[in-house]
Amino acid sequence: MSVPFSEKMIVASEDDVMLARRTVRLLAESLGFDPFTAAAITTATSELCRNVWVHAEKGTALVEQIGSNGRTGIRVELRDEGPGIAEIDRVLSGGQRHGGSLGLGLSGSRRLADEFRIETVVGRGTVVTVVKWKRPT
Amino acid sequence: MSAHGSIPVLRIGSTLLASIQVELRDTIADAFQEDILQTIAKTGAAGLVIDITGLEMVDSYVARVLANTGRMAALMGTETVIVGMRPVVAATLVRMGFRMEGVLTALNVDAGLKLVSELIARRHGAGR
Amino acid sequence: MPLQHYMEKLHFDEAELQSRRDFFEITADDLSRLAGLKSFAEKHTDDIVEDLYRLILGHPEAKKQFTEHATLVRVKRAQRDYFLGLFSGRCDLAYAKERLRIGIAHERVGVPPKWYLGAYARYLRSIFDQLSVELPDPAQARVAYQSIEKLVAFDMALAMDSYIASQLGALERHQAAIRELSTPIIRLYQRVLLLPLIGTIDTHRADQLMEAVLLKVVEEQAHVIIIDIAGVPLVDTKVADHLLKTTEAVRLLGAQTILSGISPIIAKTIVTLGMNISAMHTRSRLADALELAFVIIGKRVTSLAKPLTVIPAEAAEET
Repeated sequence: MSVPFSEKMIVASEDDVMLARRTVRLLAESLGFDPFTAAAITTATSELCRNVWVHAEKGTALVEQIGSNGRTGIRVELRDEGPGIAEIDRVLSGGQRHGGSLGLGLSGSRRLADEFRIETVVGRGTVVTVVKWKRPT
Repeated sequence: MSAHGSIPVLRIGSTLLASIQVELRDTIADAFQEDILQTIAKTGAAGLVIDITGLEMVDSYVARVLANTGRMAALMGTETVIVGMRPVVAATLVRMGFRMEGVLTALNVDAGLKLVSELIARRHGAGR
Repeated sequence: MPLQHYMEKLHFDEAELQSRRDFFEITADDLSRLAGLKSFAEKHTDDIVEDLYRLILGHPEAKKQFTEHATLVRVKRAQRDYFLGLFSGRCDLAYAKERLRIGIAHERVGVPPKWYLGAYARYLRSIFDQLSVELPDPAQARVAYQSIEKLVAFDMALAMDSYIASQLGALERHQAAIRELSTPIIRLYQRVLLLPLIGTIDTHRADQLMEAVLLKVVEEQAHVIIIDIAGVPLVDTKVADHLLKTTEAVRLLGAQTILSGISPIIAKTIVTLGMNISAMHTRSRLADALELAFVIIGKRVTSLAKPLTVIPAEAAEET
């Protein structure tokens, strides 16, 4: 049995965002994700990485292959020690109108992912985790 | 940073045709917007067709840049149409809840050029 | 269905293996005891397999499963291997895979569970008889028998699982076929598509529909797609939302959507709920939707001077 994919990356530049995107896309393809599901997780990753780079300047992205009970999925965790997000509930529900690009990126990623979790403390940082499962054939 | 070279722009009559073939990073998207607007200012193009058949992934930033480009070009008097969006891209944008407002779309370059001509003709007909 | 797919379907990983070993109470002692009984097994395997076949051939219905002699010989050999496998001293993922393969083979040939469950029971009886002779000390015989029984139970569970998994596989294929049939996107005319929706639209189906629609629009370079919902029994905010999303996605591609089959009930629901579907063209009748589609693609239906009202007579006579 091969070791499931797991890679941690620094996210501190546009190049890093592109690399993270590519990593997720290639992983999704190699796991046999259909194009729509692959696009969902790749785009969510792009949104979240951009948030880190633009608002927190530096953070990490952990991309992992996950699986339980025969299901296969991809988990991406974005971690930063940036300013944190105030009024997270409003930001998440508002989308394009409230919270600007940060809000759209977060609410968009949440809609695209199967599972979404966010922990944020103003002044300390943020951790966002998204999971996308492969569609059963 | 210039987008020239990575995004070829053709002139077809008084319409500009920009074909985006590469995966867009934010700075290239921004540069593209800047370049196109400058080109419109220089050439006085009446129409702009942005072909995104080659884009496999479009996230909210790129989508916004494209939509804004269209709106900015329209303010400068250029009719803009975005063509060739891929099914995966359309599905993802819609699922994200992203609304691409104020931008016309067409299936492909031919349809886009046709639409642009109609819009230009209509504008002239209305005596703007 | 390939073996790996079965393993996935059954969610059979290390955790599952351990869970089963625990529940079936299969210990390392059991496995080493079984390995120690290997020579016993080799000595008696032919007799034990013969017992089984006497049972099968003596039962008219069971016998029908094994009509060809060639099949009989091949299956007997497989049974022998199966039987000896019990005494390999292993119960790991590789062992489970091998057992599953046997189950798959049975299922492929179409052997229902009653036969192999009956066969397992027959094995156990034969083994018990032979063990009692081989190990005269009843305590020893009992302990050995229990080890065998545990592993046979483990095997039976796998046989049942693979049978059920394959049935589910067939079920899924049928469901996929039904979905295909109920989601045909028809090329009505050049650049005009029609999707007649029938049945309830849940989120899963709505997602699939949107994807199928988008792919088809690009494939056909269609300018218009008519989505007819006369066959959808319930249209609520969720369904309307799905349709709106699809319409917007189609617009992003550069095509237009016409929603037809809007009944009075649906019209009332949409307005009463305050839903904004101004982004869509809507019509009550499919025929009207088709007319609008023609306008969109720049065509018009006109009257001919001489319509074809006379159907040509058949040349040949019917016999």
